Amino acid sequence: MTWVNDIVQGVMLGGLYALFACGLSLLFGVMKVINLAHGDLAIVAAYGAVGIVALTHMPGAWSVLLAVPIFAVVGYLVQRTLIQASLNRGVLTTLLVTFGLSVVIENALQQFWSANARTLQIGALATDHFNIGSQISIGYLDLVILIAAVAVLLGLQYYLSYSKQGRLIRAVADDREAAQLCGADYRHIFGIAAAIAFGTVALAGTAYGMYTSFYPSSGSSGFLVLFAFEAVVIGGLGSLWGTLLGGIALGVVQSIGGQIGSTDQVIAGQLLFLVVLAAMPQGITGFRRAA
Amino acid sequence: MDRHKANDDQLALDRRSVLKGVGAGALAVSAGGLLAACGSGIKGVSTGGKSGTINIGFITPLTGDFSDFGASDTFVVNIIRNTAAYKNGFTVGGKKYKVNISVQDTQSNPTRAGQLAAQLAGTADVILTTSTPETTNPVAVQCEKQGTPCLSTVVPWESWYAGLGGDPLKPTTKYEYCTMFFFGLEQFLGCFHPMWQRIPNNHVVGCMYPNDADGNAFRDGFEPLIKSVGYKVVDGGAYPDGQTDYTSMITLFKSKDCEIYSNCPVPPDFNTFWKQAYQQGYKPKLATVAKVLLFPTDTSVLGPLVNNIATDSWWGPYMPYKSSLTGQSASSLAAEYQSSTGDQWTQAIGSTYSLFEVAKEAFTAVSDPHDKKEVANALHTVNYSGICGPLDFAASNAPAPGVGVIQPVGVQWKKSTGKYPFEMKVVDNSLNKLVPIEAPLDPTYA
Repeated sequence: MTWVNDIVQGVMLGGLYALFACGLSLLFGVMKVINLAHGDLAIVAAYGAVGIVALTHMPGAWSVLLAVPIFAVVGYLVQRTLIQASLNRGVLTTLLVTFGLSVVIENALQQFWSANARTLQIGALATDHFNIGSQISIGYLDLVILIAAVAVLLGLQYYLSYSKQGRLIRAVADDREAAQLCGADYRHIFGIAAAIAFGTVALAGTAYGMYTSFYPSSGSSGFLVLFAFEAVVIGGLGSLWGTLLGGIALGVVQSIGGQIGSTDQVIAGQLLFLVVLAAMPQGITGFRRAA
Repeated sequence: MDRHKANDDQLALDRRSVLKGVGAGALAVSAGGLLAACGSGIKGVSTGGKSGTINIGFITPLTGDFSDFGASDTFVVNIIRNTAAYKNGFTVGGKKYKVNISVQDTQSNPTRAGQLAAQLAGTADVILTTSTPETTNPVAVQCEKQGTPCLSTVVPWESWYAGLGGDPLKPTTKYEYCTMFFFGLEQFLGCFHPMWQRIPNNHVVGCMYPNDADGNAFRDGFEPLIKSVGYKVVDGGAYPDGQTDYTSMITLFKSKDCEIYSNCPVPPDFNTFWKQAYQQGYKPKLATVAKVLLFPTDTSVLGPLVNNIATDSWWGPYMPYKSSLTGQSASSLAAEYQSSTGDQWTQAIGSTYSLFEVAKEAFTAVSDPHDKKEVANALHTVNYSGICGPLDFAASNAPAPGVGVIQPVGVQWKKSTGKYPFEMKVVDNSLNKLVPIEAPLDPTYA
């Protein structure tokens, strides 16, 4: 039963990782933009949600409904100005620009919000849970995060694969010039993709804010961004449902590693990452696409 | 041909503009360093040698992960600067000296703490530092190396002693320049054990000690102490700071039925752990925590889940002590903090205040405040009573040379109907009978 509980908790944790990795998967996996400010942007969203709650006195959980669209607009603007400008100058510039953005965000947050810990208050939802048998206990918040991750990642996968706009995004990402020749406004298309990515980042950031407490430095100093990158790579670049699988695989392996020895929890996840890189660099979903 | 040339020019231009950008950045960075260097250089000239000013450096985490520790420091330093002794200056060896306090923020970064100490060591006559080994140890190491008197607090003495290279199990080495006051694992046990005894339980302690300086000190030093009083230890393992999931530890504590819970994690990890523990049904009868929930801001994050968690308190308005500088009582100092900042009092007010009391005691006992050896020796022999109570650095029962011990009391966070949602109430005074009990000891989870 202990093992069953470990796997269940691992899947729940994987949901958070996958949700966190979603925006990264879209930008990094599909559009080939490596966004080093990913974690910091999520923390900005969490602080934003705390601010929204403070201003409007709405219940904490509802602040997501405002944070996500606001962030989507911010994403479109940042893409059209900062990221697009750096993309035109090559991949390395994008790395530098997003790294700089990460430093600026962290310090700005520290200046504005101070370094004190915050959490997005959602009342009893943060700790309410139900039991299956005597050993397994599932938190409602964890479950909501997992469901959100599944819905968002599968929804986006469907959108990218079958909708006209989704196909345009992939076309632009694959071959910008060719797409342009066919009449696609690639800047706008990238903007839309970034808006979606930032929206999911806001969702992940607010979920994290409800899950635990955060500081201005949480976005870059914690494990989360590393885990998000790992989830994307384990799942396979360019595949959103792969990212979902990758996140969950990472969560489960960590949870089982923790059961073997509490010092082995993080290292178990890194080992999985190494094994995937060495044995199937295309990621878990790579074989399917190759076939 | 021409088109190629134009392209090359364009490229060259781009490269140049990029280089320019990088250059500007580098310039900005190096200018910052230069300014800092100039600043300390100028200070060195004006105050070094036989100047008429005593320079006190104060290194503390005002921002960052440990900012809760430093939250009250700005207030305390202002209060200190306005005391008659510090305002009018100290009389040392028949000569009047002005006193200058320089406050430096470590941003909770140990590397930065060490750098600040190295910068200050040249100009400061004494360096005071507080709040966690991550702050005090790098500072103390620099001071010992550079021969600047140093006084630390809010660090278990074992962590401080080991940080300077000594063995806390054989504490015979006397550090020439470094001293500290606080307490150690023995006092943690003296504080927690009586509380464990008062709540009926099965004598099994679940221990959450991370793989860091404090965690390893607790694992090596505190677990044997727990066993020595007849309790069983269940070690949750040396997990890394920042872990996001504690299922395995919670499962372990549940399966071994750990009715007592002990820890010393970094605050965000405790928040994650405690929420997950509640969700997964680990509800110890009594939680006695160290390093977290020491300050009121910590309670806002966990909300109702902090009710009846017990911890140690080295200072509070309930302490029956008075300032050695002004005669102000502990309760009046705490009240002044609340009325002037609007924030709830914190225990760090007392310890930071005492740093400056001890510094004054040491300086007024020497003949030359700029003689670093003399000042360091004076620090080693301070014996006085101040806002944190009686403090004797040369006591015969001191755990190690240069360590003054203050006695903490057991407190619990209790729901309050007043301005602040939770209040720290004294529930056990086994180590210091002079402190009145304010509330009954209740189980964390009944």
